[in-house]
Amino acid sequence: MDVQPRDPAEEIKSLERCINDLVSVLALPAMWSGGDPSRIVDTLLDALLGMLQVDLVYVRLKDPGGQAPIEMVRCPPSQKQMLQPHEIGEALKQWLGADAQAWPLLIRNPIGPGDLSIVPLGLGLQGEMGVIVAGSERADFPRQTERLILTVAANQASIGLHEARLRGEQKRVASDLDGRVAQRTAELAAANQELRKEIADRKRAEEDLRSSEEKHRLVVETASDAVISMDDHGTIQFANPATAIIFGYDPAELVGRPLTVLMPEFMRELHDRGFRRFLATGQRHINWRGTELTALRKDGHEFPVEVSFGELTRDGHKLFTGFIRDISERKQAADKLRASERDLSLIIETIPGLIWCAAPDGELTYLNKRLLDYTGTSHDDWAKQGWANLLHPDDAAPSAHAWAHAVATGQPHEVQFRLRRSDGVYRWFQVLGQAARDSEGGVVRWYGLLIDIHDRKYMEEALRESQAQLSRAIQKATVGEFAAAIAHEINQPLAAVVANGQACLRWLAAQPSDIAKAREAAERIVRDGKESGEVVRRIRALFRQAALEKIELDLNEVIAEVLRLLNDETAKKRITVETDLDQDLAPVAGDRVQLQQLVFNLLLNGIEAMEPVVDGLKRLSIRSRHSSPETVLVEVRDSGIGLKDPDRIFDAFFTTKENGMGMGLAICRSIVAAHQGRLWAATGEGPGSIFSFTLPAKAGLAS
Amino acid sequence: MNSDSPVVFVVDDDFRVREALSSLISSAGLRVAVFGSAAEFLDYEKPDAPACLVLDLQLPGTSGLELQQQLVGGDAPPIVFISGHGDIPSSVRAMKAGAIEFLSKPFDDRELLQAIDSAIDRDRIERQKRSELAELQRHYNLLTPREREVLPFVVAGFANKQTGADLGTSEITIGVHRGQIMRKMAAKSLAELVRMADKLGISRAAGTA
Repeated sequence: MDVQPRDPAEEIKSLERCINDLVSVLALPAMWSGGDPSRIVDTLLDALLGMLQVDLVYVRLKDPGGQAPIEMVRCPPSQKQMLQPHEIGEALKQWLGADAQAWPLLIRNPIGPGDLSIVPLGLGLQGEMGVIVAGSERADFPRQTERLILTVAANQASIGLHEARLRGEQKRVASDLDGRVAQRTAELAAANQELRKEIADRKRAEEDLRSSEEKHRLVVETASDAVISMDDHGTIQFANPATAIIFGYDPAELVGRPLTVLMPEFMRELHDRGFRRFLATGQRHINWRGTELTALRKDGHEFPVEVSFGELTRDGHKLFTGFIRDISERKQAADKLRASERDLSLIIETIPGLIWCAAPDGELTYLNKRLLDYTGTSHDDWAKQGWANLLHPDDAAPSAHAWAHAVATGQPHEVQFRLRRSDGVYRWFQVLGQAARDSEGGVVRWYGLLIDIHDRKYMEEALRESQAQLSRAIQKATVGEFAAAIAHEINQPLAAVVANGQACLRWLAAQPSDIAKAREAAERIVRDGKESGEVVRRIRALFRQAALEKIELDLNEVIAEVLRLLNDETAKKRITVETDLDQDLAPVAGDRVQLQQLVFNLLLNGIEAMEPVVDGLKRLSIRSRHSSPETVLVEVRDSGIGLKDPDRIFDAFFTTKENGMGMGLAICRSIVAAHQGRLWAATGEGPGSIFSFTLPAKAGLAS
Repeated sequence: MNSDSPVVFVVDDDFRVREALSSLISSAGLRVAVFGSAAEFLDYEKPDAPACLVLDLQLPGTSGLELQQQLVGGDAPPIVFISGHGDIPSSVRAMKAGAIEFLSKPFDDRELLQAIDSAIDRDRIERQKRSELAELQRHYNLLTPREREVLPFVVAGFANKQTGADLGTSEITIGVHRGQIMRKMAAKSLAELVRMADKLGISRAAGTA
């Protein structure tokens, strides 16, 4: 011990402090109890810094787990620069791995200028736990007491750390054990859960099986198909109740007998051979999923069945179950259907209509024989050219357009065109095409019919011609009776015009001229001239002379003809036409065209009178009867607006209609007068009016 | 225009024709009065002047021909018929009944005015005749019943003596009557008295002698 001579009091004081310090150091382990290594080191360093006059205390603990070592450093508060433990570690690095004996006593001060005296002490018996380094700038460091305290502290720390390490180890082992116990417990719980679930599943499966078996049994018992099982010897093991109905055998009666009893003679050998081959090779001689076969009833009757088979192996034995359905009815229905199809196709081929079918895209898929015969074409011709070449050139484009529209919209196709016959003659056809649709409304096919309307078309034209004749008859009928009225109508303003003109000239020629009077006359000319122009316009069409040609006529026939002409008109205007014609009506002597005109005008008048009726019923009724044995009466009743001025309605040019000429009823009156009859109008009980006329019945011909 | 200037009556149901004719006729310097119907015309107080009636054949109510029938025999003016359509039977009837002219509408102004002129001329003459006759009648009315008895004998050329015998009086009394007749009738000669008697429609006595 290189104790320097000093003041003995000082010496004693120093030793006392040392002893105190040693006591404190020895007390440290009590604080460490249960603490971890970092806490031990922490308190150790604080204690050392408090006891010793050092500038640096550094500890480095090796981690037993091989992880980064724990480093700590303490400096007195006077030390300006705060050092990080690893910076000290860096400065001491070169010696850290070495034995404490090999350390120098003096190193360059890592925290200030000059050198630092250091004391390195290993922790643990061989320093295996780490190292503690104390350093001071003092040259007399370490004193003997300081070294003693440091050594004791290092030893204490070694013990404490060792204990802490053991404690840590224990704790880890204990927690490891706990973890393993917990894991095992969880595994056991899971296994238990699984087991329960499995048990429940099995239970349910058993229940399902039971109910499924019950269901299957029920199905089999109540099935309308025969269900028959046989073993691998071909012996029947089971037959369900339906077997009795289909085969005529009691199910119990069949059990134990060979399946072949249910087959006609000719099939038995075939069956046995096929069945043996199947057992030997697994090769099936029939399709197991639905084969049509012939079966034999107990009463010897053979009938068609559909058979499906299933196979089941139980206890090493094969069991075959067959489902046999009586398809007699189905067969018959199918035969019937085929027959009906044959009939239908025969009908389609033979009816006097031309028929075609087309795909949804409009492409022709079928043409009946009539259509081919009419056009003198073959299917090939159609495939190549379609309709194009067969239509009248004027009709081809509109027809194609209409068809394209129908295909695009799915709306019914309706068009008229002229189709060339094999001899080159074009005839008019009405084409009707209708789309057949699936359940979603998509077009699946077009069906088309061509109807020859050539003759009808010409009849229509004849009817139109007849209508034109009627309107010409307006002119004929009027002339005789109206010439005077018309001449008057036209002559009055004309006379006035001429007279005014002459007056005008005279006023001008007078000495002196009277311009004012001439002007007045001229103005009257203009006024009257315009008016006569209007009159001329109204009656221009009315002049044409025709002689009345009276023949014996049935008025009912005349009425029927006119109703036919007006058919379109009444249909278009939604007018209900009622007729009440006396079948025993006597004939009259009359001009057919004029009487048609008469009835036509009265009906048209009624139709026009109902024009303003919007919501009420539009009803036009015409009735014929005898008002006396010598007189035939016809009444035309409408539900229109009625009459306001019944006395004037028959006057020429009197009209309540915006576009009317006021001639219709005047003509009627003139026609009736020419036939020695009477015409009058009255207001009906309901809405509308009644026009009636009588004509003398032809004498001697009355019934 | 004095009251003697001629007047033209127009009866037509068409106002346009009335207006036009009114203008045309007045342009010829004639007075015009227009009527829409026969009744209106009949109600009208006619001026005392030579006149003419321009009458439409077709009229509402009383027709032109019917009006003509009603006017026959009176001192109505001569008629010029106008018609919208001149049917032959109507025109024949009208002319037979004394119409001046029958014109179909439209007509020429000269034809119409000419017809009107001649109608007025005729009316003027008729009026003259009528006024002369009226004068004679006035004179005739001055005669006593006995003188009216004597007159036919005078104009028949009987001598006073024979007349006296026929009427049972003396020749001298007859002579006095003759003188009175000549004076009252303002006849300058027997010949004039004979013409007056003719105009008055007095037939000559046959006499017994």
